[in-house]
Amino acid sequence: MIKVESLTKHRSGTPVLDGVTLAGEAGGVTALVGPSGSGKSTLLRCLNGLECFERGVVSIAGHRLTPGPHSGGVLEALRRDVGMVFQQFNLVPHLSVLDNVTLAPRTVLKNTVAEARSRAIELLDRVGLGSFAAARPATLSGGQQQRVAIARALAMQPQVMLFDEPTSALDPTMTAEVLEVIVDLAKAGQTMVVVTHDHGFAKRAATWVVELAAGKVARQGTAAEML
Amino acid sequence: MTAPEPAKQAATTRRFGTCAWGLLSICFTASLLDGAELDEVRRRGELVWAADQEGGGPHVFPDPADPRQITGFEVELAELIAGELGVKARFLQGQWDRLPLLLEQSADCVINGIELTPERRRDYGCSRPYFSYALQALGRRGAAPASFADLAEPGPSGPWRVGVLTGSAAETEMRARSSRGEVQMEVIGYDGTLDSLEQVQSAVLDAAVMDDCIFAFYADRYGKLRAVDRPFAGGFYTVLTARSTPRLAVAIDDALGTLLADGRLKALYDRWDLAGRQQMLLLRDAAEIPPASQRTLVELIRQTLPLLLSSAGMTILLSCASFPLAIAIGLAVAIGRLYGPSWLKPPLTAYVEVLRGTPLMLQLYAIFFLLPKVGLALPALMAAILGLALNYSAYESEIYRAGLKAVPLGQFEAALSLGLSKWQALRHVLVPQAVRIVMPPVTSDFIALFKDTSVCSAITVIELTKRYSVLALSMGRIVELAMVTALIYLCMSWPLSLLSRWFEARLERPAGTTP
Ligand SMILES: Nc1ncnc2c1ncn2[C@@H]1O[C@H](COP(=O)(O)OP(=O)(O)O)[C@@H](O)[C@H]1O
Ligand SMILES: [Mg+2]
Repeated sequence: MIKVESLTKHRSGTPVLDGVTLAGEAGGVTALVGPSGSGKSTLLRCLNGLECFERGVVSIAGHRLTPGPHSGGVLEALRRDVGMVFQQFNLVPHLSVLDNVTLAPRTVLKNTVAEARSRAIELLDRVGLGSFAAARPATLSGGQQQRVAIARALAMQPQVMLFDEPTSALDPTMTAEVLEVIVDLAKAGQTMVVVTHDHGFAKRAATWVVELAAGKVARQGTAAEML
Repeated sequence: MTAPEPAKQAATTRRFGTCAWGLLSICFTASLLDGAELDEVRRRGELVWAADQEGGGPHVFPDPADPRQITGFEVELAELIAGELGVKARFLQGQWDRLPLLLEQSADCVINGIELTPERRRDYGCSRPYFSYALQALGRRGAAPASFADLAEPGPSGPWRVGVLTGSAAETEMRARSSRGEVQMEVIGYDGTLDSLEQVQSAVLDAAVMDDCIFAFYADRYGKLRAVDRPFAGGFYTVLTARSTPRLAVAIDDALGTLLADGRLKALYDRWDLAGRQQMLLLRDAAEIPPASQRTLVELIRQTLPLLLSSAGMTILLSCASFPLAIAIGLAVAIGRLYGPSWLKPPLTAYVEVLRGTPLMLQLYAIFFLLPKVGLALPALMAAILGLALNYSAYESEIYRAGLKAVPLGQFEAALSLGLSKWQALRHVLVPQAVRIVMPPVTSDFIALFKDTSVCSAITVIELTKRYSVLALSMGRIVELAMVTALIYLCMSWPLSLLSRWFEARLERPAGTTP
């Protein structure tokens, strides 16, 4: 479902990604590890077109990205099938939790309010926040906000979910509750790519582990081989 | 005080002497206080006379040969009067309808086609008449109205649109006839006489009414215009002085008497092609105008309040119609500059810089006086709303640009990652947050706009400030009407600030699910 071949990207002259090719089965849970600044976020953002690249090719969820700027139509189609969860949650502050989750289904998929709401309530229940539907994001803890962000991404029923250090901004308790949700998703068969520093989590959930160093793939293999 | 006494007594005497001298000089000054102004003029060696060179010829206007100089028959008259007082004349520029206010400041007198009226006789020192004027209606050649009688019935498209100089006798006369139902017209006040000539020529107005000598002077320049019938009313010009300077008033009046008697005034009018002999005959038989009686405060308020209130309505209309427009345009420009295609950015930047870098007054002028020349005549109200909206849109766009930039980039990326298009992300995620961020500066801009509406009087839209100034001057009740006007402004701005506070509170209200 995800294929990356000789992906190269520069930022102000220096290579940030340098011929990155992901081998292995294209599905399951891929963990992206490596030191800070090694290009993990950049690679992840190339997968849903938040970044352009100069060489190589990305295929994801049946969509194909080529070097150079991407057209709006291609990106919108791709992003319906590829969700993303950020380190900083990025919930819309003036919308309630429920409205955050229904925003994309209503505006992008043109679901009716009733449809979008009943599905959103289901998802909020699934991440354990059914009773917070009417709350504003700012009144929630970091862990709760990140779970809302996951529910929000899931509302689009994406084929692939991208996580960029989803627990780095959280304390251990909240980290545990968010990882719980992600592990559940993995068990349910959701294809995902997770940038993480948490080797325990990688060992527990990942089917394939890629280690980046200075924009190159240092090693990759199954979780058992790598960790 | 010559007694040669011991030293101590001498000192006392000296002290007494100083006191007596002080007292004496105070009495002396007090007794001459109301005449000191003439000595002051003589000491200064200058008679400061106020006029408006925008009012145009033949009175006072920039010399075509050297626009730094002014010329006109009143310039020469001022020099003659000053000469009689043994001093030089110094010109002081002012806005025509506010010239009398300069008497409280730096002007000794006003010489600028000021019509002698009972109100002015009551409120100012007025010299004997020095010029006789008549009111003349003007129209376009080949267009209605063809005669003064035509004005009794509405024109082909409603009441006739007739321009006058704000605060002039022409305005008073036409408003009076209009309110008596003798003519069917909308009387529109301009700050300059030439403005209304321009507007008749470009067909924004059907007609204009002004002093006959002005039209005679400009008839060649405005070849498309013609006199509509004969002059129909008239009166005399007077030199205005302040009530507090009676000796100066007498001196000026005497000077005019001399100029009339020795033929210099007639020669002056003949030089300016103003029919000197006829002027002399008319001035000789000018009837005395009695001063008007003072109104009581209650009468004053009863007479002016309806006018002031309807002008306050205009202030509200202007702000409430133009500000939402300014916000809409400003937001669109900000979005275009930040997220639009790159070819759109230079023109939008130019739009903002031009509108921010030029005065609102100039923009209103361009819309109202220049657009008709390319066949795009907007009614004054529309021009005013458009001008305010365009001007403020530049400021709002900068505010919204800052507001949009202040929304964290992650918000935009998260919205895009959900599959929203750039425009959907803007509409549902970025703009609502930016609007909240910029609420305080936008609110204060609204209050600024509310006050800026007074500039619109330059293009004949009369709002509260202008109405106040016209009424205060024509009625000579500057202080009382200022208080009434301030009270009306307060009554308007207070709910406004309540409204904006409520608005801010509403936007910041936590919790609650929006549908
Ligand atoms: N917005 C940016 N502008 C310029 N350089 C950046 C930006 N974001 C990241 N980089 C640089 O790109 C490289 C890779 O960054 P990143 O992908 O964020 O690494 P990681 O997520 O592995 O920490 C780093 O050298 C970083 O300094
Ligand atoms: Mg990173």
